[in-house]
Amino acid sequence: MDDIVFYTVEIIQSIIDGVLFGSTYALIGIGFTLIFGAMHKLNMTYAAASLAGAYIGLAFFTLFDAPVMLVFLAAIVGSAGIGLIVYYICFRYIPVEDHLAALMASVGALFFIDEIVIHATNASPLTFPALFDDVMFELGPFGIRGDLLFVFAVSLISMAALWYVLYRTRLGLATRAVSQQGIAAQLCGIDIHRTNGTTFVVAGMLGGVAGSMIGASVGILSPLLTLPITIKGLIVTVIGGLGSIPGAIVAGFLVGALENVFLFVRGVNERDMYIMLLLFVFLVFRPHGIFSRRAERD
Amino acid sequence: MLKLENLSKHFGGVRAVDDLSIEVNRGEVFGLIGPNGSGKSTIVNLICGVYTPTAGSIRLLGNEISGLTPNRRLVAGVARTFQNIRLFDDMPVWKNLWVAQNSTEDANKHNLLRRWFGGAGSDRDEIDALLEFSGLGGRGGELAGSLAFGEQRRLELARAVAAKPQLLLLDEPAAGMNFDEIKDLAKRIKGLREQDMSIILVEHIMELVMGVTDRIAVLNFGGKIAEGTPDEIQKSSVVQEAYLGKPQDVA
Repeated sequence: MDDIVFYTVEIIQSIIDGVLFGSTYALIGIGFTLIFGAMHKLNMTYAAASLAGAYIGLAFFTLFDAPVMLVFLAAIVGSAGIGLIVYYICFRYIPVEDHLAALMASVGALFFIDEIVIHATNASPLTFPALFDDVMFELGPFGIRGDLLFVFAVSLISMAALWYVLYRTRLGLATRAVSQQGIAAQLCGIDIHRTNGTTFVVAGMLGGVAGSMIGASVGILSPLLTLPITIKGLIVTVIGGLGSIPGAIVAGFLVGALENVFLFVRGVNERDMYIMLLLFVFLVFRPHGIFSRRAERD
Repeated sequence: MLKLENLSKHFGGVRAVDDLSIEVNRGEVFGLIGPNGSGKSTIVNLICGVYTPTAGSIRLLGNEISGLTPNRRLVAGVARTFQNIRLFDDMPVWKNLWVAQNSTEDANKHNLLRRWFGGAGSDRDEIDALLEFSGLGGRGGELAGSLAFGEQRRLELARAVAAKPQLLLLDEPAAGMNFDEIKDLAKRIKGLREQDMSIILVEHIMELVMGVTDRIAVLNFGGKIAEGTPDEIQKSSVVQEAYLGKPQDVA
């Protein structure tokens, strides 16, 4: 009997931690999905650029001993800048209909960014500053880590800010017009290239938040994070449905929670295998994402 | 108003438009007719900036516009509708008009930051008037993609008008319409002419073209084979040949 209680408490605790950390996956997923929605292309560099942005923030911390909030701010600006550069290198001048070229270019840029980070850090992990990491809220048998709660809150605020930009500003109107009908949008006076460029910057800012929040909750930044975060981000994007922001948010929480549950039940070695299985389940039964209707079968 | 001079567009060896010169006056409805593949749609795409010309010039109110991107051409005063409807399907009807309304108004007025991150203002009275004009009054809240075919065509016309263009390009606006809808469309086109808007009408349906245009140019193989009033065109033997072939001696 005590075993069952213990087990249940631990599972729920895993889910709580997972959902809180999953908010960063949601941000990465939103970034992928935002750019896919605007250009109908995958920007493979996105997670790497987000983490590189976090490294830029970290540089301010290590070199100038900057306050933590400034580190986060620098990460946001840095990641937005990388996003714009990636846009110009991998998307702006590649013909719209050439999806493979843009994909390959962004895969190349992914490795390029990764190599720069490895070179600059000698491939060793670096400590990333956190806020409220000594706070712990007790909720009955459960504990809520202060740093994770902070990460969660910042992520939610960023999502709200993104919602505001998308649905309450001209940029958002232009972005949605371009994603729904590129040619008609242009002939309605919208500069499609500038709109896409700005979308990359906005996505990059979101990535900077995600990157620094990942750093803050893991406590370290390491080049080894790039691949798993890229993969988790893509899984979140697929589960949420390519182009669906609400889908990416829900999928981010889902992946975060399940990852932690698998970690508790099956251990760290098997954890990611089950997450990959989850991806296949969605690809087969809900290929257009969590909020789409069931796949029609022939 | 609009002056095309020696305009050419070649796709590889195909001369879609070849050395064409046309002048459209202010407040005039100008018809472009011709058999399939005669270059009508290419001309529309050249004027609105989807294609860049191989040679020649496009002048609007005396300004050369052939080097401008499509979005700058809207600001210069060119708006269009599409042969295959291109609405923002997932936006409400009124927002489709809002997109066009915003772009012209703000393109030159505000700095980058205000333009992108400022709240998007809209003139709801004007939008309501446009919806009324299109017979879509009170439907502004519905999704554009859920409208019936004829309604979508009317909304596309309204969206083009919302940009307050000097020159309106209508690319086969009556395709797929029934008789009543065509009569309705003719009434709207005449209404727009009264607002001093110049209109280029590309159309196959002759009742519409002959009913609303002031002048017509007939194209064949990318060149102009005749130009004149609807009456003159109807009587022209060159035109009949282009459409029906040369009369053969069957005796």
